[in-house]
Amino acid sequence: MNSLWPVSVSHTQLTSINHQVYVHPTPSSKDNIPGFLALAKPRGATTDKEILVAWIPESKLQESAADFESYVKVDIKESGTPASSSLNLAETLVSPPPSSSFSSYAFSIPISDIFSLQVKQPSLGWWWGSITIHTRSKEDQLPPLYFHDAESQSTIMEQKRRNKKFETFDSESGSSMFWGGDHFIQVLSKYANLERAESDHSFLLVNPREGDAERFGTNLTGGSEEPSQLVAGIPGRGAGGDPVDRGAQVQKAFSDIRWGLLSNLAKVTQLTRKVSQGVWDSSPQPVKQLLMKPEVKKIGDDFDSARIYLAKWALSVAEESQRAKLKVLFDDELRELVSDEGFELIDAENNPQRRNEVSLAEWNAFFDYNGRLIVTVNEVKERIFHGGLAPAVRPEGWLFLLGVYPWDSTAAERKELVSKLRVDYNRLKKEWWVQEDKERDDFWRDQLSRIEKDVHRTDRNITFFAECDAKKDGDDDNYDKDEFGFSSQINSNIHLIQLRDMLITYNQHNKNLGYVQGMSDLLSPLYVVLQDDTLAFWAFSAFMERMERNYLRDQSGMRNQLLCLDHLVQFMLPSLYKHLEKTESTNLFFFFRMLLVWFKRELLWDDVLRLWEVLWTDYLSSQFVLFVCLAILDKHKDVMIDHLAGFDEILKYMNELSMTIDLDELLVRAELLFYRFRRTVELIDRKNEDRRNSADGSEPVSITEDLRELLSRKVIVVREGERPEGVMGG
Amino acid sequence: MPPKKRTMLKVVILGDSGVGKSSLMQQYVNNKFSTQYKATIGADFLNKELTLEGRKVNMQIWDTAGQERFQSLGLAFYRGADCCVLVYDVNNSKSFDALTLWRDEFLLLANPRDPENFPFVVIGNKVDVEESKRAVSAKRAQAFCKATGNIPYFETSAKEDTGVDQAFETVARNAMAQVDSEDYTDDFADTINIHLDNEQSNCAC
Repeated sequence: MNSLWPVSVSHTQLTSINHQVYVHPTPSSKDNIPGFLALAKPRGATTDKEILVAWIPESKLQESAADFESYVKVDIKESGTPASSSLNLAETLVSPPPSSSFSSYAFSIPISDIFSLQVKQPSLGWWWGSITIHTRSKEDQLPPLYFHDAESQSTIMEQKRRNKKFETFDSESGSSMFWGGDHFIQVLSKYANLERAESDHSFLLVNPREGDAERFGTNLTGGSEEPSQLVAGIPGRGAGGDPVDRGAQVQKAFSDIRWGLLSNLAKVTQLTRKVSQGVWDSSPQPVKQLLMKPEVKKIGDDFDSARIYLAKWALSVAEESQRAKLKVLFDDELRELVSDEGFELIDAENNPQRRNEVSLAEWNAFFDYNGRLIVTVNEVKERIFHGGLAPAVRPEGWLFLLGVYPWDSTAAERKELVSKLRVDYNRLKKEWWVQEDKERDDFWRDQLSRIEKDVHRTDRNITFFAECDAKKDGDDDNYDKDEFGFSSQINSNIHLIQLRDMLITYNQHNKNLGYVQGMSDLLSPLYVVLQDDTLAFWAFSAFMERMERNYLRDQSGMRNQLLCLDHLVQFMLPSLYKHLEKTESTNLFFFFRMLLVWFKRELLWDDVLRLWEVLWTDYLSSQFVLFVCLAILDKHKDVMIDHLAGFDEILKYMNELSMTIDLDELLVRAELLFYRFRRTVELIDRKNEDRRNSADGSEPVSITEDLRELLSRKVIVVREGERPEGVMGG
Repeated sequence: MPPKKRTMLKVVILGDSGVGKSSLMQQYVNNKFSTQYKATIGADFLNKELTLEGRKVNMQIWDTAGQERFQSLGLAFYRGADCCVLVYDVNNSKSFDALTLWRDEFLLLANPRDPENFPFVVIGNKVDVEESKRAVSAKRAQAFCKATGNIPYFETSAKEDTGVDQAFETVARNAMAQVDSEDYTDDFADTINIHLDNEQSNCAC
């Protein structure tokens, strides 16, 4: 075989290979081009900087069968060996990679010409991970390289090895599954100094020269000048910028950080505004017509209802005009941000999108034959966060999400756990079931009637809980009691009995808190989905751990959340905040219901289930629900500012959003807002660092602790204190 | 005298959980009753337009959650109320006993200018339930109302729509009288304190 390899000066030492790295020239998958990503050392090269990073399409290599084999061989050989030695590279002689060739997308570029790598990890069931190489020269635009790991033998082998060592269960560190890009970066880091860009962690700067890192940052924060370069990841403003000048510019850009930069940043999008404004401006006739409508005329404009009516109408017009081009708008909104603030690095793939829900087949594939998870918890959560669960997955998936099932358990362990939980639930239930009536104190009786009243009016529109006896349309409150003192209407529906029993048991189980209004709303979906009172009880208890702070006697938990939301609105939607101040609405009371029972009353049943499972992942923040609230304000802020002039009007408007909310759109918006929030905090932290180091002594911009806490995925648990003697559950 | 501009009246409904606050409001404003109401969380209001003595008024009726702990955040909608409706369930004596607490709670949070004379109306709801289940007699309720500053008392069934309109008409009149008395005291800088409580004769009981 050796004879097939012509030896000449042009030959190249092949040092590392990733196979099944694709270029996607068009959105159509049939146009994808498979190839090799290789590091190759040209003969005669003396420094690492001369090493070439090359992508060669398979077709090109197949012209020379020997080359193809050696490329494949290097790919497999590395991964077949343990990680520690996988960098002991096989070195093989092959023909030099082609330099840039547009027609076949092949390229090769010396490390010294690479400015940065933009790295996107793969997400489960969705994209392939990709790496885009940004060069130091503006002319070369290299295509993003997609790592088709599922087709790459070497990556699969490495994933298997890691899974065997159980490294997959690393949920909190946020580590995700090993992928082809990791391998490439690992190898490249042997030959080049890679530094993560501070302002955007998806960027790796390659052998950053003095000023590169700063320039990269400068671009991100200061520049409205050259946004397109920014998106391409090319250092901008390199040419004419005298360093002192640039420093001053940065300083200036930051000087008004809170109300200047932030207020612009935080705007929903200027484009959306322009669109809705345009529609509004150009439609005086419909407005007049509307005002002529008898129901509007009757009310007259000095009453709030007319304004709410108008506000809703304005929103519907704006929505109408957006619906057709929603997708485009999201892109354009983001571009707008980039060009305005040079802030967000966005391209099509950075856009949050909703995905299909996790099907039962996909869910089952997360587990091995023992029923043990074989992907990371973080991956599962990411997948659920973006797609939710199919109804068939929920009964099991929810128990994992709520922490009833440990993520690293086997099916056998879970089975055992369930039997134990059944015993425990029955024991707890028996505690009150066997009590003599005279043993029951006033508190118990008070709580019992509270529970009964609420069970009566919980989700009775759901078939499960609908009335099922002759008493249809009968007494809402039935005063006929059975031997336990329970009203007979409840006893006519087994599911209502179960709801009641679980709540009474919880009332006993969590003695300090007890039952509080709103809890029945939290329990009912759990019971309907799990269809098992034991499991629903424990799922509910687990859910209540994080929800306990909503129900405290002194309401401090609700108050703190509303206060935090207040800070968040101030921070992210300053113009709306000013309006809320003017209308004495900064208490944000209209979010009370949404927060207390997590949008149970605002969303359709199926959407409630979806939202809750998304929130339970704590994927971005354990308080993501506040970003959902923020997203509602964000969507409606123009209408609120233009049309709603008082607290009562705003409250009415918000209450009437009930059952009109498009959950997917809301979640995408909330996710975007979260990213924007996180980026803003980082930016301010960096600026504050600069200020502390500079001599001008200007005060750092403070970020309140509660805002910073929004970046944490750790669930906040606040327990109720002991119930003082004689205090009832009210 | 030019026609007075329309008046906005603000009314707050309070009372224990499950006594029928939301049902009363729905019955009065929308003439609807449902057995599928959910426990109220947070607060909401409905507007009702009516003509009182030739004046058009808009009554904004606020409905709140009945569990006491949720009241502490409710300051925002107590403020500026012109009349407070206290509701209990005639078949539940505990809800009747709680009326004093609700009244005190309201005065504390709403902090009206003249708490002594602030207009309340008491409603005993659910009189449609059979007589044998009744826990609070009309006589007892009337005695309480008389002793507590002569509060007008009505008995209603939101379910069967009995007595609801009459009760709220009194609510509206007393709220209007309250607005007028405040206008008056505003004009004359508190020198004269007028309170109109001439509506007790309309009492349904």
